[in-house]
Amino acid sequence: MRKLRTAIFVLILTILALTPAYGREVNLRILYVNDFHGFAEPYKSPGAQESLGGVASLAGAVAGLRKEKPTLLLAAGDMIQGNSWANLPRGKSAVDLMNLMRFDAMVVGNHEFDYGQEVLRKRIAAARFPVLGANVEGFKDGLKAYVIKEIQGLKVAVIGVVTPDTPVSTHPKNVVGLKFLPPQAVLEKYLPEMKKQADLVIVLSHIGYQADRDLAAKVPGIGVIVGGHSHTKLLEPAVVNDTIIVQAWEHAKALGVLDLTVADGKVKGFSGRLEMIKPGQGREDKAVGRLVKRYANRVNAVLREKIGEAALDLEGEHVRARETNLGNLITDILRQAAGAQVAIINGGGIRAGIPKGAITVKDVYTVLPFDNYLVAIKLTGKQLREALEHGVSGDENRAGRFPQVSGLSFTYNPRALAGSRVKEVLIGGQPLDLQKEYVVATNDFMAAGGDGYQSFGEALRSSRDFSSLGGALTGEKLAYNDAGRWLRDVVIDRIIKEKKVAPQVEGRIKQID
Amino acid sequence: MPTQARRLGHRKLKTENRKLFFMQVYVNEEPVELLPGMTVRHALIKAGLLDRVAAGLKVYDEWGNELGLAGALSAGNKIWVR
Repeated sequence: MRKLRTAIFVLILTILALTPAYGREVNLRILYVNDFHGFAEPYKSPGAQESLGGVASLAGAVAGLRKEKPTLLLAAGDMIQGNSWANLPRGKSAVDLMNLMRFDAMVVGNHEFDYGQEVLRKRIAAARFPVLGANVEGFKDGLKAYVIKEIQGLKVAVIGVVTPDTPVSTHPKNVVGLKFLPPQAVLEKYLPEMKKQADLVIVLSHIGYQADRDLAAKVPGIGVIVGGHSHTKLLEPAVVNDTIIVQAWEHAKALGVLDLTVADGKVKGFSGRLEMIKPGQGREDKAVGRLVKRYANRVNAVLREKIGEAALDLEGEHVRARETNLGNLITDILRQAAGAQVAIINGGGIRAGIPKGAITVKDVYTVLPFDNYLVAIKLTGKQLREALEHGVSGDENRAGRFPQVSGLSFTYNPRALAGSRVKEVLIGGQPLDLQKEYVVATNDFMAAGGDGYQSFGEALRSSRDFSSLGGALTGEKLAYNDAGRWLRDVVIDRIIKEKKVAPQVEGRIKQID
Repeated sequence: MPTQARRLGHRKLKTENRKLFFMQVYVNEEPVELLPGMTVRHALIKAGLLDRVAAGLKVYDEWGNELGLAGALSAGNKIWVR
């Protein structure tokens, strides 16, 4: 009889261990960040009153909050790319940080693919936490669809989904062979099997706040969506269709805190907030601080590395007024990288020159400090001419829109009325054909209409269709788009390849009377 | 173009059996068109409002949540600078 009772007791325990926890309340704390982008040190955003962020402070806050309740620490994507602290070690610094902070899971964001699949595989292999991507098909070795975590007997399923727009926000070569399936369909597929195993389903999402709301409205049964991608500062949790949605802004400037009471497979109560992360409040995690400094020192060492040599001074002072050899060098590189016939960038985007001699990584970062990326758009000859007219329309004020060009040459009269200054335009030595289309490389700033350039936007508006050419998203007017790689990195790679550069001023832009 | 896409201000694009969209978003209720992958910052450049943010104004979504400049946008998003 005693043996039978023991056997029944063991059986009950076994059943309880294998099935979700019913009939008792469990308090669970979820701490979350998203869109860290490698901003390891505090910084002051444009227009902000004070510096925010700093992962040593973030880790200190996490440690304090962890002591209070059973906790899951989650990351909703875009953790390993963005700032130089993450970019120069190609994301390794961010993974080391997350290991040190003992993250429980993360979902891949679109920018996790920016270093290519091989590097991402290495980062996932080094991660001591699961990296999720349920809607990524074709990524071998690494990404998990979901994991089940057990916290004080509560079984929590955490599933990850990333934006299906990933292929259009990174270089096509980074996502070759991958398919990014619609998150809704993927969740509907996995939810029944997760529900059998777990008391609570958390979606770690990198699809943006609006898409999170849509998902919650369409897919019942999700307990919590921890989101990212839209960099939304969601001060309090939102609730849609009984699903709690949270997101913690960006760049480790805030830590999300969501406290849940779960019983009988349902969330019985919750409260949530963002804790703003401010430096100098005495709660920095020393080990994380040391890691940040170690990588910052390595980054500085990389910045000092010689990547090539300038055979002559690379002139960055007069980029808002005339053709310069540095402008020619940069635009030549961009034109070739995009496979374009012409390149135009705003002189104001070039912020310094480089003296004759060794060129370091830091030199190029100083020349091109903005986080701009390469775009190529098909412009008609007329639109190209209008772009040049606009470029020289602020000539007398040394406006930043003054163009630096490659693949073309033109003359202009600075004393003529703005709008009718450009005279002769030659493309590859041939007169510009106003009706013909030319592939023009530029930066995303100008493509978006920055410095008042309208031609690129006009061309894009006239696109009738987009298509895929060799795996690359191209449109009738969009020829190249790589949001995952900054211009300065394109330039650095080319200088490394060339070893020695000696660009000349060769009459691409000539003033006439 | 499907009615729903038209209603959302999408322009239909095709790529390898997938449909993508050339985004139209709204800044202070004015439409701006962006390339896929472009962000809040690009929408503000297009709307000529980036300088206002540098001067201290902030960007909000349609639910009143503040957005970071590198925040992703999707077709039909409405943002405000104030």
